[in-house]
Amino acid sequence: MSAPDAEAERFPGDPDLWLFVVVESLVFTSYFCVYLFSRTQHEQAFLEAQSALTMTLGVVDTIVLLTSSWAIARCVQHTRAGRYDAARRSAVATAGLGALFFALKVTEWVHLIGDGHTFTSSDFMQHFFFLTSIHAIHLIIGFVVLGVLVHQLSDPGRRSLPTIETCSTYWHTVDLFWVVIFALLYVVR
Amino acid sequence: MERPAAKRLLTSWIVVVAVTLLYLVVDGSADDGGAPGASATASVAAIVLALAKLRIILREFMDVRHAPRVLRAVTDGLVLVMGACLLGTYLVGRAIA
Repeated sequence: MSAPDAEAERFPGDPDLWLFVVVESLVFTSYFCVYLFSRTQHEQAFLEAQSALTMTLGVVDTIVLLTSSWAIARCVQHTRAGRYDAARRSAVATAGLGALFFALKVTEWVHLIGDGHTFTSSDFMQHFFFLTSIHAIHLIIGFVVLGVLVHQLSDPGRRSLPTIETCSTYWHTVDLFWVVIFALLYVVR
Repeated sequence: MERPAAKRLLTSWIVVVAVTLLYLVVDGSADDGGAPGASATASVAAIVLALAKLRIILREFMDVRHAPRVLRAVTDGLVLVMGACLLGTYLVGRAIA
């Protein structure tokens, strides 16, 4: 068996978490469908409410989260190479970028609510606040996961590549969901 | 061995960021004289670009590229199912509105 073939047999992280990724993606997809269908039936009302969002902010949010995903992927690469200090720095950078994303999201919520756009002000805003807050809950759980990862990397007796890969997979899942939420809430017309 | 992997990861990051910036073009193309206007083209493009990013994140960031065939098939199937559901719902919804 050639080297690339041997590498092809590696399962990145815990299979149970992959089951979670698939099931959670399908749950999110079903909600996305409800949003899209509702949107097509009330197109003008959704467009008017959507105009309160700042597209550029959504793009910045997305780039911040994508960069955090890159950083956690680097963390896994460093761990595989045995460079644990570099891996820990990448994990801390991931958490920092996640915190920046969360701060931007909270700022956006505060501005929207200040301008009178609340959960009950329109159908679009109901979907917006529901999707962004359920995503934020996943993000907050991600901080706990990153804490586990940093703790593992800090202690030579606890370092486990499968656990670190599993933590990384969870963080990427948070990014996956945001990529679709951003497209549906900020760009779809 | 590690350096090409790091380079490939960085390239993937550049691609997904570039696709994200493309959304600004998609958004601008849907503007109707400055006022927000409905656009099936912009909406379908937004969903397709998101699906492309999903696959890149799964394959490159989440390392599915090196995973066993079953995981590669399941994740590709997931992206296809999500795409069919999102585009189908949007297009059918518009058709019956």
